[in-house]
Amino acid sequence: MSYPDAVVVDDCSTDTTGVEASAAGATVLRHVVNLGAGAALQTGITYALQQGADLIVTFDADGQHAVGDIAVLLDVQARTGADIVAGSRFLGKTVGLPPARRLLLKAAVLFTRYTSGQNVTDAHNGLRLLTRKAASKIRITQNRMSHASELVDQIGPLGLCMVEAPVTILYTEYSLAKGQRLSNSISILVELLLARLSRS
Amino acid sequence: MIIQFILCAGLGFALLYAWLQRRKSRVVSIGLMIVAAIGILAVLAPDASTSVARALGVGRGADLIMYCWIVITLLVAVNLQVKILQMQHSITVIARELALRAPMPSSPVCTGSEH
Repeated sequence: MSYPDAVVVDDCSTDTTGVEASAAGATVLRHVVNLGAGAALQTGITYALQQGADLIVTFDADGQHAVGDIAVLLDVQARTGADIVAGSRFLGKTVGLPPARRLLLKAAVLFTRYTSGQNVTDAHNGLRLLTRKAASKIRITQNRMSHASELVDQIGPLGLCMVEAPVTILYTEYSLAKGQRLSNSISILVELLLARLSRS
Repeated sequence: MIIQFILCAGLGFALLYAWLQRRKSRVVSIGLMIVAAIGILAVLAPDASTSVARALGVGRGADLIMYCWIVITLLVAVNLQVKILQMQHSITVIARELALRAPMPSSPVCTGSEH
């Protein structure tokens, strides 16, 4: 299965990511300065909305997601009519997940459940489906890594309905180097705290 | 004394600067003017700060001034942090706008792709 309407956000990559993605058939949006994963996500979502997309699937570029899982998300959305379908590695499966990383992810899940009130099983999964309605309501303002929590936090207040779908996350040396670490999670906590302070 | 002259000149300059900036932000301008004026008084009459300190329960005038200085510095730091966040937000908006205006068109997909 291939999806022709692929959008790649090139967050000021220093390698040839943009050129290769364009050559492979994707529409490439390039940030002139590096802004972070959250900002890239919002840019891609805004573009998709401008192009009139009805369903938007976000997909991390570090090779940890499986293209086949997109069909699972689409299927779950069609059956449930949910506004957001979030991929969950803990409903699905993981390949090569180190135990320490598992613990960290589980802790993040507990934190997200507590702060958002959403009964999630996986908090920081980049593979998710947004309907047009959800995508136009959600605003990602956390440019760096806190965007995942920020997104889940908005679901309740915006009155959106989220369900989870089982997906597979493949851990490779590359994706592990790119993924969240313990040190990162502390800066995420600080970022979220600052965001809450500046909002109130 | 020479030090009083130097400090008064510096504080006087701050007072003048705050006065000139009054149109930009009234609150900051007035706050800075009050701080500078109190500073000049404290420099000219060092004993006054000590009596104020005593009244507030602080031993020495110099200590009181240092405590106030710490509070002011923290306020300035928070103010700068907010400014930085606002600036980051503007940069994000600009970079996003540029990205959305010039999407690299998708080149035709090579033949032989699965369908």
